[in-house]
Amino acid sequence: MVFSARILTVSHPTTPLCWSHSRCYLNGKLKSNLKWRSMAADAGASSFAASDGSDSLDDKNSAAFCIIEGPETVQDFEKMELQEIQDNIRSRRNKIFLQMEEVRRLRVRQRIKNKELGIIEEQENELPNFPSFIPFLPPLNSANLKQYYATCFSLIAGIMLFGGLLAPTLELKLGLGGTSYEDFIHNMHLPMQLSEVDPIVASFSGGAVGVISALMVVEINNVKLQEHKRCKYCLGTGYLACARCSNTGSLVLIQPVSTINAGDQPLSPPKAERCSNCSGSGKVMCPTCLCTGMAMASEHDPRIDPFD
Amino acid sequence: MVANSNYGGSRLENGSILSLTSSVLASPAGEITLTSEQKVYDVVLKQAALVKRQLKSSEDLEVKPDIVLPGSLSLLNEAYDRCGEVCAEYAKTFYLGTMLMTPERRKAIWAIYVWCRRTDELVDGPNASHITPTALDRWEARLDDIFKGRPFDMLDAALSDTVSRFPVDIQPFKDMIEGMRMDLWKSRYKNFDELYLYCYYVAGTVGLMSVPIMGIDPESQATTESVYNAALALGLANQLTNILRDVGEDARRGRVYLPQDELAQAGLSDEDIFAGKVTDKWRNFMKKQIKRARKFFDDAESGVTELSAASRWPVWAALVLYRQILDEIEANDYNNFTRRAYVSKPKKFISLPIAYAKALVPPSSRTSNPLVKAG
Repeated sequence: MVFSARILTVSHPTTPLCWSHSRCYLNGKLKSNLKWRSMAADAGASSFAASDGSDSLDDKNSAAFCIIEGPETVQDFEKMELQEIQDNIRSRRNKIFLQMEEVRRLRVRQRIKNKELGIIEEQENELPNFPSFIPFLPPLNSANLKQYYATCFSLIAGIMLFGGLLAPTLELKLGLGGTSYEDFIHNMHLPMQLSEVDPIVASFSGGAVGVISALMVVEINNVKLQEHKRCKYCLGTGYLACARCSNTGSLVLIQPVSTINAGDQPLSPPKAERCSNCSGSGKVMCPTCLCTGMAMASEHDPRIDPFD
Repeated sequence: MVANSNYGGSRLENGSILSLTSSVLASPAGEITLTSEQKVYDVVLKQAALVKRQLKSSEDLEVKPDIVLPGSLSLLNEAYDRCGEVCAEYAKTFYLGTMLMTPERRKAIWAIYVWCRRTDELVDGPNASHITPTALDRWEARLDDIFKGRPFDMLDAALSDTVSRFPVDIQPFKDMIEGMRMDLWKSRYKNFDELYLYCYYVAGTVGLMSVPIMGIDPESQATTESVYNAALALGLANQLTNILRDVGEDARRGRVYLPQDELAQAGLSDEDIFAGKVTDKWRNFMKKQIKRARKFFDDAESGVTELSAASRWPVWAALVLYRQILDEIEANDYNNFTRRAYVSKPKKFISLPIAYAKALVPPSSRTSNPLVKAG
C-alpha cells in the first residue's frame, strides 16, 4: 500500500528528462538544432548523476527510462498487485492528459510570443492537405475539392455525350484502322454471333472494367502510403522477436541426466522456463520506433529540414 | 605510453593530446603521444593479426545453458530478409550493389548494415533526443552479447549468425559506438587529425568490418595489413565525400565537419559556412579538400584488387560510384550549401561495366606490387 501511495503522489511532473525538454522549448526555436545536444550533455552530466544517486523510487522510475532495453529493465512493476497496476495506469493516463494540455498551452503562448517578437514562422494551412490517392494528381484540400468535383462531372457528361450522341451521328469506328466491332470480329475469323453484343451489355462491361481497375490503382497507392509510414524495422508492429527464445517465450533447459542408475525408466521431458529476456512475451521493444510502429523522420526528412 | 589497447572505450582526458604535425611528438611532460593515424594503424594491425590467428574458434563462445527451440532457423531467415528490406528502403544504391555479391555475403553485409544503421539512428535518428550515455552503454552491452552468441532481438540474431560464420572482430563495432559517443558532444573539429579519428570511428570501422566478409583472394600475395589499410582508406574516402557533399545540411544543424585550422588558413570561418555563400576562398578550400579525398580513394584502389574474385565487382562499383560524387560537387561549382551533389542514373549504370572491367584484374603477383610481402 505504501508503494502505491508513493507512486500516486507524484502528480507534478518534474522528472529530469521532462524538465530539460521544457526548459529547452522555452528557450525558443532558434536553439532547436542544438537543444538536444546541450540537453544530452546537461542530462548526462548533472541530472542523471543526480537521479542515479537518489534513492527515491519515483525518480528512478521516471529517469530510468532508457531507449535501449536490457534484460533487467523488463522486470519493472513485477511486484505490484492487480489493483495497484490499475491504479497506476489510471494515474499515469491522467498525467499524460495534463501534460498534453500543458504542451498545447505552451504552444499557444509560443505563437503569441513569436508574433510579439516579430519572428516569422511558416504558416500552416488552415485546411490541411491530403495527398491524392490517385498517382500524379496534386494534393487535395477542401478548397480544390470543388474543382475536382467540377472536373469529374464535366468529364462524365462529356463522355456520355460523346458516346450517346456524337459517335452514332458521325458513325465513328474506333477499331484498328477504322473498323467497327463487326469488322473486327470478321477479321479475327470468330463466329459472327459475337458481333451482335447488346450495346447496354457492352457499355456495362466496359464501365465495370474501368471502375475496377481504377479502384485497384487507388488501393495499391493507399497501401504504399500506409507502408511508407510504418517503421521498417518492426514492420509497424512495434516489437521485434526475442532472439533468446525465438519468439516462443519459453526456454528449454538442458539438464544433464545421469543414466547409470536409471534402469528402465524413460527420460523425463526437459523442463522449460520463462524466457528472462522478454519475460515470456516473446517480443522485445523495437528501439527505432519505441514501440509506436511508426516510421519517423530520418535526417533527410523534409519535416526536420523543410528548407533542404 | 598513451596507446591504449582498448581506446575504443576510453575518452581522451585532455583534448589537446592529439598532436598536429609529426607522427610522434614528445609532450612537455615527456610522454610520447600518437596521432590519430598512428592509433588507427594500431587497430588495423591488430585486426590483421586476429584474422591470421583465427581467434574466432568455438571455444570462445560461451556454452549456452539454455537451448533454443526448433523454429529458430526460419526466424533467422526472416531476420535476414528483414535486414534486406531495411537496406533496400534506406540505401537503394547500396542495396543494388549488394545484389552483385554472393548470397551468403549479401546477407552478412545486410546484417552489418542494419546494426550500423541502428547504432547511427540512436544518435541521429528520430529518438535522438532521448539518447543518454546509459543507452549507449546498454547498446554496447548488447553488442558484447551478440558476439558471445546471445543476441537480444531478431536483428541482433542476424548479426550474431554472421559473426559466427565469418571471422569478424568486435573492435570495429565498439569503435563505432565510441564514434557515436563522440558525436554527442563534439560538433567542431580543430584539425584534420581530430577529423581523421572521427571518420575512422564512423566509416573506417565499416571498412574493417567488411574485409572478413569480402574475403581476401587466396592467390593474393599482398599482406593482410595492406588490404585492411585499403579498406580503411575506402571508408575514410567515403566519409570525407559525405562530409564535403553535406556541408550545407550539417551547417543547418549547427555542425561543421571541416578542420577549423584549415578553414582559418583559407581565410574562412564558421560564419562563412552558415552564410552559405560560394566565394573564391571557398572554391580554393574545397579544391584542396576534394584533392585529399581523392587521394584516399587512390589509396583504397590498391587493395580492392586483392579481394576475393566474387567480391571485387561490388566493391569496385561502390568505389567508382562514390568517387563520382566528388566530380558532381565540382560540377556544382562547389556549391554544397544549397545543391546536393547527385550522380544521375545513367552515370550510375555506366559505372557498373567499368567496375566489372576493373574487377577482372587479378590480385597482385609477387613481382609487380609494392604491397607484396617481402621475402
